[in-house]
Amino acid sequence: MTQTVPNGPALDREARGDTATGLPAVPSPAQGPRRPTGRPTTQERLARRRRVQGLALVTAPVLVVVLFVGVPVVNAALFSLGFTGGLSQALADIGQDTVNGFSFAVYGTLLGNPTFLRDLAATIGVTLASTGLTIALAVVVAVILRLRGGFLGRTLSVLAVVPIFVPVVIASWSILTFTDAQGFLRSAGAQVGIDVPVWGYTLVAVVFGSVWTSLPFAVLMIAGALQGTPDALIEAARDAGASTWRVVWQVLLPMAATPMVIATTFTVIGVLGSFTVPYFTGPNAPTMLGVDISKYFQSYNRPQQSTAMAFIVFAFAAAASVLYLRSTVRSNARELGKGPR
Amino acid sequence: MIKRLTGTALVWATAVVLAVFIAGPLLWLAVRAFATSWTYPNLLPDGWTLKWWGTVFQDPSLAVAVQNSLVLAPLTVLIAAVVCLPAAWAISRIEFPGRRVVLVGLFATNAFPKMGLFVTMSAMFTALNLMNTVTGILIVHVLGCVVFMTWLPAAAFSAVPRSLEEAARDAGAGRWRTFWSVTFPIAWPGILVAMVMSFLASFDEAQGTYLVGAPAYMTMPTAMYSLVLNSPRQVSAVFAIALSIPSVVLMTLARKHIMGGRLADGFQIR
Repeated sequence: MTQTVPNGPALDREARGDTATGLPAVPSPAQGPRRPTGRPTTQERLARRRRVQGLALVTAPVLVVVLFVGVPVVNAALFSLGFTGGLSQALADIGQDTVNGFSFAVYGTLLGNPTFLRDLAATIGVTLASTGLTIALAVVVAVILRLRGGFLGRTLSVLAVVPIFVPVVIASWSILTFTDAQGFLRSAGAQVGIDVPVWGYTLVAVVFGSVWTSLPFAVLMIAGALQGTPDALIEAARDAGASTWRVVWQVLLPMAATPMVIATTFTVIGVLGSFTVPYFTGPNAPTMLGVDISKYFQSYNRPQQSTAMAFIVFAFAAAASVLYLRSTVRSNARELGKGPR
Repeated sequence: MIKRLTGTALVWATAVVLAVFIAGPLLWLAVRAFATSWTYPNLLPDGWTLKWWGTVFQDPSLAVAVQNSLVLAPLTVLIAAVVCLPAAWAISRIEFPGRRVVLVGLFATNAFPKMGLFVTMSAMFTALNLMNTVTGILIVHVLGCVVFMTWLPAAAFSAVPRSLEEAARDAGAGRWRTFWSVTFPIAWPGILVAMVMSFLASFDEAQGTYLVGAPAYMTMPTAMYSLVLNSPRQVSAVFAIALSIPSVVLMTLARKHIMGGRLADGFQIR
């Protein structure tokens, strides 16, 4: 955390660095170099008081998160590694196949279990497919809105955002009725004599549902970025003879790089850990790990394996988040020297 | 000319596919709420009726679920706002040690799979006697809003021009007065978006509520779980429509702000 060092170059850089959106950044707290001895100046005392104020104000949400996410997660990590005391005592006593004593045995057992590996593969496959489709669709909607606009563009962008307002339970269920043996797709196909495959209770329906629920956020992110692209840039490219394809690939999408990474990360994280969509629309086997976590906990009574699975999912989600964090930090660093727009 | 036409055709084809993809499932479900029965492969039901609406509204347990949801969601937003908004202001305005760690740390709560979190949380809740309590449910719901309620308002506060605040201070306004009559009104749309997102997150939360609250406290989404599994499809269709009403109302109210790129701005790390 170099940026927290007072008066350091990093801090100054952040203060000037501004953001990808061109919003004013936080001002530098201390104005001059700190004197090595003597009493602090009024300015320094003020700056320190503000830092303490800042810390005090963020305490509340941090405390909530540490207490109700941090503690259980650390505890779960220890539990999955074989520490069965403390908060996990009750679970360890009730659960079956509990491993006592520090070891990676729980993870070893899971990773040697073909059913689990198949579910892991299904989870990753669904996540990749859903994320790819979501981002592609979002880009299409955003590009139509940006380059074509008008009634069609606006309607599409509103339509693509609708799912954010539909509770996931309803979304999953309506997608199931849409794709199952007597669903719309099969009915419509039957009208014209095509035998559409049954997608309900298959991984296809899970991908359908995941894209459906993830699309709005991706559209909001990417369309927001494209709408902010100056007309002059597009016209300049057009004047230079660029086709629509080239405008999209070489002007619009590079401008939306960071929001696209953010959208990708949120989609990956959301789909990886999703429960409701695969629970309603997916098959019994292979299933997504979000469903497995719940099944192992409630139905199979194996809380230790259930928590270990959560960490395996978390490892993948964390990997995706690193990409996101690096990308936003880098894009902010790129803005250095441009000054406020 | 031909190129332009193919382009237009392509755009329209995309639009139609997208419309079917997004609106199709919802319409297909909504029609069911008014259907007597449905024979495959007809595209319309066999007959029309309103009797399923009666079934839903006469079910006392569903009424309780509606009531619970309508109390819990605003309460969640209120608590989340009280807990998070001062922090959002601090993140935007004060360079304190660990500022980015806080932002990233709050984000990280999103990365851990929800189901895994609830499972591990339930051990702690059992120890703290929070299972089957309103407090327990509220904790689960507030956790779901923390990221929205800090990141989005922080961006909204950052977007307030400092020169305006300074002008107000120069004109003799105190800190509070400056905040309430300059900073807050300008930041309000962003905060509103955060509140809408939080409301929806709370209203939508099913997994954690089910694990912590069921069967003592059922909300609309958790009631929907059992409804889908245990009753005729028409009944769950009716309930689904009822469950969408608050969201649709909120959408029409806040659409302008949500679509205006505020969400996109809010998720940049600064």
